[in-house]
Amino acid sequence: MSLLALNDVNVTTEAGGRRIDVLRDVSLAVGRGELVGVVGESGAGKSMVGRLIAGMLPKGFATSRGSVTFLDRDLLAMAPRERTGLLGDAIAFVPQHPMTSLNPVLSLGAQFDEHLRRLGQDGKAARRERALAALDSVHLPRPADLLGRFPHQLSGGQCQRALIAMAFAGKPDLIVADEPTTALDVITQARVMELIDELQRDSETGLLFITHDLRLAAQHCQRLAVMYAGEIVETGPAAALLSDPLHPYTRSLVAANPGIAGPVRRLAALPDHMPGLSGFADLPGCRFAPRCPVRDAACAAARTALTEVVPGRFVRGAGACRKQASALAGQDELPRAAADAAAPPILSVDGLGKTFRSGRDWLGRRRAPVVAVDGVSLDIAPGEFVGLVGESGSGKSTVARLLLGLETPDGGRIVVDGQDITGPFQRTAKQRIALIQMIFQDPQSALNPRQRIGRLVTQSMEVRRPPARWPERLERARDLLGQTGLPQDTIGRYPVQVSGGQRQRVNIARALCTAPKVLVADEIVSGLDVSVQAQILNLLLDMRAQRQISMLFISHDLSVVRYLCSRVAIMNRGQIVEQGPTEQVFRAPQHDYTKALLAAVP
Amino acid sequence: MSAAAVGGESPLRRALRSGRVVVGGSILVVLLFCAAAAPLIAPYDPNEQDLLNALKGPFWTDNAAPGFWLGTDNLGRDTLSRLIYGTRVALFVAVCAAVGTMLMGTALALLAGYFGGVIDWLISRAVDLWMSFPPVVLSLILIVGFGVGIGNVILAIILVDWTRFCRVVRSEVLVIRRQNYVDAARLSGFSHMRTMVREVLPAAAPTIITLMSLEMGIAVIVEAILSFVGMSVEASIPAWGVMIADARNYMYQSAWGLVLPILAIVTTVLAFNLLGDGLRRTFDARLQQH
Ligand SMILES: Nc1ncnc2c1ncn2[C@@H]1O[C@H](COP(=O)(O)OP(=O)(O)OP(=O)(O)O)[C@@H](O)[C@H]1O
Ligand code: SF4
Ligand SMILES: [Mg+2]
Repeated sequence: MSLLALNDVNVTTEAGGRRIDVLRDVSLAVGRGELVGVVGESGAGKSMVGRLIAGMLPKGFATSRGSVTFLDRDLLAMAPRERTGLLGDAIAFVPQHPMTSLNPVLSLGAQFDEHLRRLGQDGKAARRERALAALDSVHLPRPADLLGRFPHQLSGGQCQRALIAMAFAGKPDLIVADEPTTALDVITQARVMELIDELQRDSETGLLFITHDLRLAAQHCQRLAVMYAGEIVETGPAAALLSDPLHPYTRSLVAANPGIAGPVRRLAALPDHMPGLSGFADLPGCRFAPRCPVRDAACAAARTALTEVVPGRFVRGAGACRKQASALAGQDELPRAAADAAAPPILSVDGLGKTFRSGRDWLGRRRAPVVAVDGVSLDIAPGEFVGLVGESGSGKSTVARLLLGLETPDGGRIVVDGQDITGPFQRTAKQRIALIQMIFQDPQSALNPRQRIGRLVTQSMEVRRPPARWPERLERARDLLGQTGLPQDTIGRYPVQVSGGQRQRVNIARALCTAPKVLVADEIVSGLDVSVQAQILNLLLDMRAQRQISMLFISHDLSVVRYLCSRVAIMNRGQIVEQGPTEQVFRAPQHDYTKALLAAVP
Repeated sequence: MSAAAVGGESPLRRALRSGRVVVGGSILVVLLFCAAAAPLIAPYDPNEQDLLNALKGPFWTDNAAPGFWLGTDNLGRDTLSRLIYGTRVALFVAVCAAVGTMLMGTALALLAGYFGGVIDWLISRAVDLWMSFPPVVLSLILIVGFGVGIGNVILAIILVDWTRFCRVVRSEVLVIRRQNYVDAARLSGFSHMRTMVREVLPAAAPTIITLMSLEMGIAVIVEAILSFVGMSVEASIPAWGVMIADARNYMYQSAWGLVLPILAIVTTVLAFNLLGDGLRRTFDARLQQH
């Protein structure tokens, strides 16, 4: 008997005068003590499933078909009050953003107390005992001390553990965890997942784990459901689903994820991106059809249903799905760009250091200094991609800002193409702009929303002497858009009018405008969906092949670094603790920190 | 709800869909018209006396006199004409004071928020110090120092109120400054000046416009108070504050002389506030959709 079962649920909303099924035919079951993963890219409807169970569909959304049964009772037919009562005790939720889900003005203890009181625990002392035990069970050290602290005095990982402790404290039948580790760094993520596994093993609790990370889900869940555009396209046992995906979308998802071990092959990237809500209405048949590499004529119209293909494994789709797609089969192994060891490095950094002392309190007293970067030395050969890896706050972005001159270093030297550009930005701006450029992490914040893309990408021509005239800029803009695989009609659009992946391409195009020798890329794919990420990674590889560009690639994602970079530097607390050829460092890490980092990769 | 729809619509069109903006804006258009066309639409010269028809009430009262729609004051001057001419002083002060406070406050806020560090510290402390004086006391001290006159009134308002602008805009600039596109502009070779004007200022413009319209409302009140106590325009120039002061002594014979200019002030301030509030809401809504 399953604990929770969704049977053919449709959630419908109205947009532009049309009815749109945000969720279509969603069927899903979670048994007692079972860990089920729901995997999908952003906008696939994963969170909508969570909201449906919680009875918190956004305004204007309603279930139009199907049923949600929990402990053999229909949640949808229940009166709201009865339902709320049931949810509080029997279903707990772990949210995505731990910091914002705790009340900032109440201590952790007060919030725990309130939570347990709602669950019906009498006696303040008893509640405190239970809170202490719960915090202890999530391996938070010194629980008594933690209860007196406020959320801002805890790290993201500590907050998330506290929330997990709260969720399990009520001994619920079911926990719904929506991206519980997305806001955390790899090492913390691994610890939190381990913890969820452990707590769940010891109880009868069923757990619905919502995530965008297929590998992570496969590692921890018994069963997976893969979602695309509001539909479940495949469900089955986690291991089988990852090793032998059946649906074309699942297959491309697996193919788009670079591995941490094994041969490095060129990623098979899907074209385009998942349609938005309003696009669903134009896809009466298979919603994956516009991007599917093996579609045939019937797909776009055929109403598909989940069918059992192999015992225990369900796939949604028409006959064409099962065609063995050559487009998705393994690609050729990528040649590792062997850097020319004899050539002088294009970028050479020696003993770079930066301590932040700028903070002042309201009296003008200086705050305690933060050593963000401490004696970093690094060389990059022409045409070489070097990865810079480290957890949050290790100083990676500060290195980038120092290289670009956005911060002035306290010590050390930066030499690009034989020119020393260490000095303050004003004095070195001219050389820097032509030699080294930056691709920013968040394309949303890196592109001025008030300017058209054509202007944005050719921004640096505006201040050239003599200033470039408009036809010349237009021509350059066309050229840059072509190089980065953007359609020409984006030239007159604003950044909000293109997709996230395209925005990141605009960001790259702008960095290429001055034809720099070195690019510094700070976490440029971390905000993107897997299939879009694969497109960008391939674009970077093509750029390297075509124009011998060098890059410092900053990332926390080791598999992505392995895919792109022939060398890697591991950073911890402002220092580079280990550096060398990627394969060598990943196969035989020397430093403890590198080992911990590698062990944490799902 | 598509991105195209959001980005494609002009800010003006969006603003015009807000009821507040439409109501506030319409009142202001009428007031502007009165100010501009005062000699054409006012039935009388505002200083023309008709002592036989002194202290008359508006047309709907028993005490009305034909031809004087809103009655007359103690010297028999036509209230309607004086109200119409009064918009000139009110709007002139409102616009000049708002532009002045905006220029001074925004310039300093830009410098403080953009450069940060010592510059920010100095400017912020100056603002704190300045704001620790009660505004009424400060403006009276300034007027006493400068002497009376409408130019000095404007100057006093600017010197008292630039801090409000500076504070709000500075915190806005601090947020904008952290956007990566500002750094990206620097990396493209933009000078500090160009970066401030091209990248930072437009992003702060909604806040600045909103603050300006609120500031205009404040300026109207301050001017009225100062002309009431005789520190603004000369008594011969029709201003709403002057009208109130004149009517005060005859309150019991004809309260309308007092009520009507007060109504004019309230309406004007309300219009500015509605406009400012409406604009703020439109801009906020746009930001949320981004
Ligand atoms: N302008 C600044 N003023 C003061 N401290 C700063 C400043 N910029 C960064 N720091 C501090 O320097 C340290 C390193 O920060 P940095 O942004 O380089 O980390 P990171 O490795 O890029 O982290 P993430 O992975 O989260 O992006 C942190 O402790 C941070 O708080
Ligand atoms: S139904 Fe057709 S388009 Fe859809 S996944 Fe299967 S093959 Fe592709
Ligand atoms: Mg960073």
